[in-house]
Amino acid sequence: MDRRKLLTSAVLGGAAGIVGATALGSLSPEDVFAAEGATAKINPGDPDPNFIEGRITGITDTVLFVTSSDGSLHSIRVTGGTSIWKLNPTTFDEVKVGDGLYARGLRLADGTLAADSLWVNIVNLNAHVDSIGRGSLNLDHHGQRVVAHVENGRSAAVYNNTPAVSDMSMLEAGKHVKVIGAWHPDTNEITISTVYAAV
Amino acid sequence: MAALYGEVSWFCCGNSWGPCGTVGHGACGTCNSGSRQHAWPNTSDACLAITRPDRCGESLLRRGCGHVHTTTNRCNGKAIATSIADCGPQTDLFCGERTCCGSVCGSNRVIDLTPSAYSAIGSLSTGLLPAMVT
Repeated sequence: MDRRKLLTSAVLGGAAGIVGATALGSLSPEDVFAAEGATAKINPGDPDPNFIEGRITGITDTVLFVTSSDGSLHSIRVTGGTSIWKLNPTTFDEVKVGDGLYARGLRLADGTLAADSLWVNIVNLNAHVDSIGRGSLNLDHHGQRVVAHVENGRSAAVYNNTPAVSDMSMLEAGKHVKVIGAWHPDTNEITISTVYAAV
Repeated sequence: MAALYGEVSWFCCGNSWGPCGTVGHGACGTCNSGSRQHAWPNTSDACLAITRPDRCGESLLRRGCGHVHTTTNRCNGKAIATSIADCGPQTDLFCGERTCCGSVCGSNRVIDLTPSAYSAIGSLSTGLLPAMVT
């Protein structure tokens, strides 16, 4: 059983002890009906009701309140089965008000998303390396300057076909890179998770 | 279309937070991170002049905005159908790049999915996956 089936099963009350109904609160038949409906076919090009993008405006117990960039408001319920990424796999207590996120899960009848996965502050930038400083790269991303910090023990580089390594010495100013990283909210800075470079 | 094998990545578009806030709605004017969409390297002559998959030995068919492709994550078999909303990825910047999971590998970036679409077939933290596109 994959994570999504497990979570779905838990939300619908069928999981055996992994994430119980007590973690999610009681669910009405309408919740179940809506959850089943949420798995219906989504046409290519359409918005995905089981996905949310936005910034966290509030946190209570296990619910995140999120405002999407189009102004719409959402609530996201986090359970023991929710995987959370914030530079690395992490725990719910690391999630803060002001963070940006992408969330995938199952939409319930009241509009809440029961989260399967959260990616907090994650960015995927295709950028030009303007210069390389001590412990950071200065990137040009669509004409905007982004400072990408290297964090020892966390940041890794992939050169062409090689496995990820901690050695950043083969990165060059003037080249393009792709960076998976974590944004520092309300700044033009990120911390590098993985930087991909052609050498 | 015969199956195309390569790498799939993801990109943000439309209204968003952080560094993605400045990228706009893409070449088709309809791109949004929360929709099931993708970028394709050959949507027009102008697009192809930027992406240049031919420099990596990739010959991709011309497909316009709204055309539907199905992308399969070859690591887990999950697939998703999405429509073209932007030009990309810039394949020639990373010619010969290879991504593997075990013995299954894909070379060259041939398609970019929105976060919504990519997260339906794999984790956003992976960044790249070997894929089949039809």
